[in-house]
Amino acid sequence: MKKFLLFLFIFLFPLMAFAKENDKITLYFFHGDGCPHCADEKKFLNKIKKDYSNLRIIKYEVWYNDKNAEMLEKVKKELDVKGAGVPVTIIADSVILGYGNGTGEKIRRAVEYYQKEEYRDVVSEILSGTYKKDEFKESSFSKKEEKSDREMTMKLPLFGNVNLKKVSLVTAAVVIGFIDGFNPCAMWILLFLISILIGMKNRKRMWILGLAFLLTSAFVYMLIMLSWVQVAVKITTIIWLRNFIAFIALLGGMFNLYQFVKTKDDSGCQIVDEKKRKKVFKKIRKFTGEKSFFLALLGVIGLAVSVNLVELACSAGLPLVFTELLALNYVNSASKIFYTLIYIFFFLIDDLVIFFLAMFTMKVTGISSKYNKYSHFLGGIIMVLIGILLLFKPEWLMFQFR
Amino acid sequence: MKVIKISAIWCGACLITNKVWKQLKDKYSFDAIELDYDMDEDEVQKYSPGEILPVFLFYSDNRELGRLVGEVSFDELEKKYLEVNE
Repeated sequence: MKKFLLFLFIFLFPLMAFAKENDKITLYFFHGDGCPHCADEKKFLNKIKKDYSNLRIIKYEVWYNDKNAEMLEKVKKELDVKGAGVPVTIIADSVILGYGNGTGEKIRRAVEYYQKEEYRDVVSEILSGTYKKDEFKESSFSKKEEKSDREMTMKLPLFGNVNLKKVSLVTAAVVIGFIDGFNPCAMWILLFLISILIGMKNRKRMWILGLAFLLTSAFVYMLIMLSWVQVAVKITTIIWLRNFIAFIALLGGMFNLYQFVKTKDDSGCQIVDEKKRKKVFKKIRKFTGEKSFFLALLGVIGLAVSVNLVELACSAGLPLVFTELLALNYVNSASKIFYTLIYIFFFLIDDLVIFFLAMFTMKVTGISSKYNKYSHFLGGIIMVLIGILLLFKPEWLMFQFR
Repeated sequence: MKVIKISAIWCGACLITNKVWKQLKDKYSFDAIELDYDMDEDEVQKYSPGEILPVFLFYSDNRELGRLVGEVSFDELEKKYLEVNE
């Protein structure tokens, strides 16, 4: 095992050095004093400045400063920008007008784009008179974004225009969540709990305690994932940290594949550590046997919280790459919750099926151990793939294929 | 001939193999013993079950003739049963 890790470290770590970053990027922000959208954008820019060490923001007030207003007009004319009003944000030759829902994400994407692609300080060239219009067209962020928007929208019967980016994120949530669900880490606890619940005479109590365990598990998993997204959003803009996550994904993915190969010919259940097993069983028996329904419910909820926190280390890889995926796409808060909920639902689907089957048939059903093996294999492939893309083609993970 | 199945209620593969275990019992006559890894702890440890469940142990005259470990199919279980019975 040590040799395997050493091998990975030696061969994969140097890959991280390949990701390049531009030296300095200048964002021009033309605003008016007293304009509410400008104030919102100003707050946003102050925030993202901390995220990109090579980003310089230059602000020009244009409502009360005639010289600055003239400057803006000159730049707009050279860049063929139609439309009046502020704020106007310019990075290279890409102009973003106004500030509303989704503009922040667009600005971030533009900054990210010029971290990797050819960047020229077009505003400075215009103002100094050295700008030549046709030279820069091919690498313009705005043009590629427009093209990408067109390509990412598909007209489907019944659904109308569908944004493929959103569909891609939903698909990722479904697939990764489903595969993550077959991770056997916490399954033994659920099976034991169900066996004990089935032995109870009170059906109502059985349903409530079982569902409380599953819903609390889902809630804890979701909170953990959402807090990871917050962290991922902060660090995904720092290239070396993003590369570090890529490295962890590669390492975790390869470990999963190694586990798959190692246990290829084995089947059955790995016996859980005796001390841990007895401790959990004792708790389950105590809580389910509790006379007071309220105390039993509290106990089961507490158990679900502790179990999920402890077992997290066992299945951290896939939620980690998924949260990185959300962070890379700069989805807004409501969407973060939406995609995470989809992930959690598919993560829990096998548990829900086992639970409902048991409740209706009064028999416990297990999941074949071969699915656990496939989960290792597919999970490993996904993690390695995302790791490689994070290093070399992060824009593909932003679902902008070009 | 005695066949012992060691399983646990928290083990999915053990639950899956309940069906093949029943098929074997229906098809052949032998002394079938079921042990639970947690409930019959002392008895189970006598057979040194190892790290994977379920375990099927084939005994005759208090002598172990063979064992099968993990999620086995009916064919595998039957093959082993017939093999040790020869």
